[in-house]
Amino acid sequence: MNLPILPTTVVGSYSMPGWLERLKTEYFARRISRHDLDEIHDTAIKAAIKDQEIAGIDIITDGELRRDNMIDYFVERLPGVQIDRSSKKFYYDFYDSSVIGKLPMAPLGLAGDFRFLAANTERETKFCVTGPHSLSKRIRNEFYPSEEAFATDIARVMNLELKELVKAGARLIQIDEPNYSGFPADLSWGVKVLNTMVEGVEAKIAVHICYGNRYGKPSWEGSYRYLFPKILEAKVQQLTLEFARRGGEDLDLLKEFSAPFELGLGVIDVKTNAVETPDLVAERIREALEVLPAERIFILPDCGCFHLPRNIAFAKLCAMVEGTRLVREELKN
Amino acid sequence: MILQLNHLQRNHAASSAQDVIGALYSLLEEGRLEQSQFAHLRVHLDWIQYRQNFRDAVTVTREPSEHGEIHPPIEMHVDTRQLVPDSLREDILRAMIRANPEPEGVEDRLFLEDFKTFRSSLVWDFNRLYWHRLPDWEEATGRSYEQALPGGKSDANHPEAVADCVADFWTLLRDLENKNRLAPEIFALEIGVGMGVRSRIWLDRFRALDQERGTNYYPRLKFLLGDYSLSTLERSRPAVREHLDLCSFIVLDAIDPTKTLSFLRHKLLHIHLTNVYDNLPDEEFARRDGRLHLVQVRAYIPSGESVRIAKAFELPAGEMSRTVNRLLESGPDYFSDHSRGVAFWQEIWKALRLEERVVSLEDLPDVSLPAGLDPSHLEDVLQEAPADFRFHLSSGALESFRSTLPLLHPRGFLQVQDIFVTDLNEYLLGFHGPGKLDGSIVNWVNGVLLREVGERAGYDVHFAPFRYRQGSRTSILYTTQRE
Repeated sequence: MNLPILPTTVVGSYSMPGWLERLKTEYFARRISRHDLDEIHDTAIKAAIKDQEIAGIDIITDGELRRDNMIDYFVERLPGVQIDRSSKKFYYDFYDSSVIGKLPMAPLGLAGDFRFLAANTERETKFCVTGPHSLSKRIRNEFYPSEEAFATDIARVMNLELKELVKAGARLIQIDEPNYSGFPADLSWGVKVLNTMVEGVEAKIAVHICYGNRYGKPSWEGSYRYLFPKILEAKVQQLTLEFARRGGEDLDLLKEFSAPFELGLGVIDVKTNAVETPDLVAERIREALEVLPAERIFILPDCGCFHLPRNIAFAKLCAMVEGTRLVREELKN
Repeated sequence: MILQLNHLQRNHAASSAQDVIGALYSLLEEGRLEQSQFAHLRVHLDWIQYRQNFRDAVTVTREPSEHGEIHPPIEMHVDTRQLVPDSLREDILRAMIRANPEPEGVEDRLFLEDFKTFRSSLVWDFNRLYWHRLPDWEEATGRSYEQALPGGKSDANHPEAVADCVADFWTLLRDLENKNRLAPEIFALEIGVGMGVRSRIWLDRFRALDQERGTNYYPRLKFLLGDYSLSTLERSRPAVREHLDLCSFIVLDAIDPTKTLSFLRHKLLHIHLTNVYDNLPDEEFARRDGRLHLVQVRAYIPSGESVRIAKAFELPAGEMSRTVNRLLESGPDYFSDHSRGVAFWQEIWKALRLEERVVSLEDLPDVSLPAGLDPSHLEDVLQEAPADFRFHLSSGALESFRSTLPLLHPRGFLQVQDIFVTDLNEYLLGFHGPGKLDGSIVNWVNGVLLREVGERAGYDVHFAPFRYRQGSRTSILYTTQRE
């Protein structure tokens, strides 16, 4: 990938406009067709891509605007999952879904979404998927003997899909596993399942672990210490973590445990509408540079910008890019 | 004519309906009411439970003309509680004349402001004055504001209710501790503390429960008492003197507590409010034939009262409006004799009324809804609502609620004890404010909109009737995380 030092990117989601929320809900109420919704999504995604480009982001995503939430986009595609489609009153709600038999191996059709992203930008791209641990927490298991067994099968299906994404040209894939923070005791098998998912996938793999962003508020609190040392066994190249909202205290863990990963450094708090200054962003980057060299740091917000109003999300990304530029200048000198 | 009975007081409804219909027909027969007026009348029979309120017995509002209507609807509100059968015809006539676009020969009101939204009205300055100068008012009346409440005391201080709340809190702490997720400092907040009685009961109970269970949470507790009035906070101190080591007293903006407490974002495990939302600035909307209108008001004093009060306080009649404004700016200290200033304040408050008119929302493109509630959300809520009714926007409560939620810890819970409308159809079954409670304003809170705003913010909102005192109209709102 052709990238500057301290490359900037987003965690995945971009601001979800109110009009798009209403249209998505209209679709569930059967008032607009799938075809129309697809067109609406295409248009919204192009706008999100443009915003990222104008803000100066180096690695672009599609803003995840096709997704209702981080679970159902995959639940609808996972073969063998039963969905109660009447369980959604509002598009953002989770489906009531369950698995009653072994998941068959079948493609999920994500490559088409990636191709759309790649065709609409000349910048480097990233595609984000939800990990098997987090998915297994939201799908009711009525077949497998354990959550681990269920998550392992999800991982096998997703492994196939990641390979399809690579064939389509994806070079950076991020796996989202916020539920590690909610269920730290699962980490021992969680990492094993993650490794199953990325086995043989020839792309840079990042895993995003936050403290939850459902409705723009944290789902859990605590320290990242729970990740170590188990996370060191993960066969990924980058850890994407939140530090803006929670402070940089846990940065020392990377040094303490000699973590070999790149760090996706969260420098923007996405749970507040207060726009950071570039100087504040730069300060947060400098704090991380005391722990890791610049070559191993990517700059991102703490989590997705889904809940931020569009103008705020855009302003925050601009501040992030400008703050990064300040530090790049310092490093050059 | 459409007659709408908006209350359940059978005796008042039956006799007053007869009186009102009889009066209207007699005025029609005498030619004092035109047939076209009669045809477009919408008569609402209300029963206002607040003896002190802002209405005359009969008020008439002319609806705005829409779609080129020659005769727009005429809305007549009759307070069946104030209604005096002998003067009903004159009350109706006077109200009809006053509602004319250019009323002639009717100068029986001293207006203190122009028409504006209810939220912007100076009645809220009176409300603010009351809370900031509460000791003055209480000294003059000889009773505390709690004694002025229905029943003479606050439901907030009910020991069983408080004990249950403490038990829920303790259980939450234990669950978090079992999962190694309990922070060293445990934060809880009470907003609207009054005399501090509830805080004292809560803290006493929590300490006792903690000691009984041997959990040692009490020493880790940081209990915040918040109020927008410094004088109220000072009065709450003695009540919690046994717990002062872990108490902090914070003046905060009830509409936006995060202004003062942003450092506690996502840290508060429990937040409690009692009778705060019913006292926050509000708007009222009217829905007619499915279209939304904003209710605008202007405060006035009946001229007779104005003259009487001016005479009693030896003020030039022409100076009344100015004197009221000075009172609101400076408090009763504007008068060289402080007690005379308080007496003037109370007289004005008692006489104060609100004239109303409704304006189509389409003519007011700048009306902004509270954050978290946009027009499409309001439309969704109103789909299940009656086509013709009035309702509170509870804008102050919605803003306060939405601003308070981000302070909650991921597993924290919010409880609000107040008077809530939990189904919009209730607006057709009773009068829900505004009324006067002692020197303050009281309004029921639109719980349906709170629920909508809460859901969008990631919380399910539930209402439980206050079961601890029979006859209580209070409900408890509590939040649970929405997945």
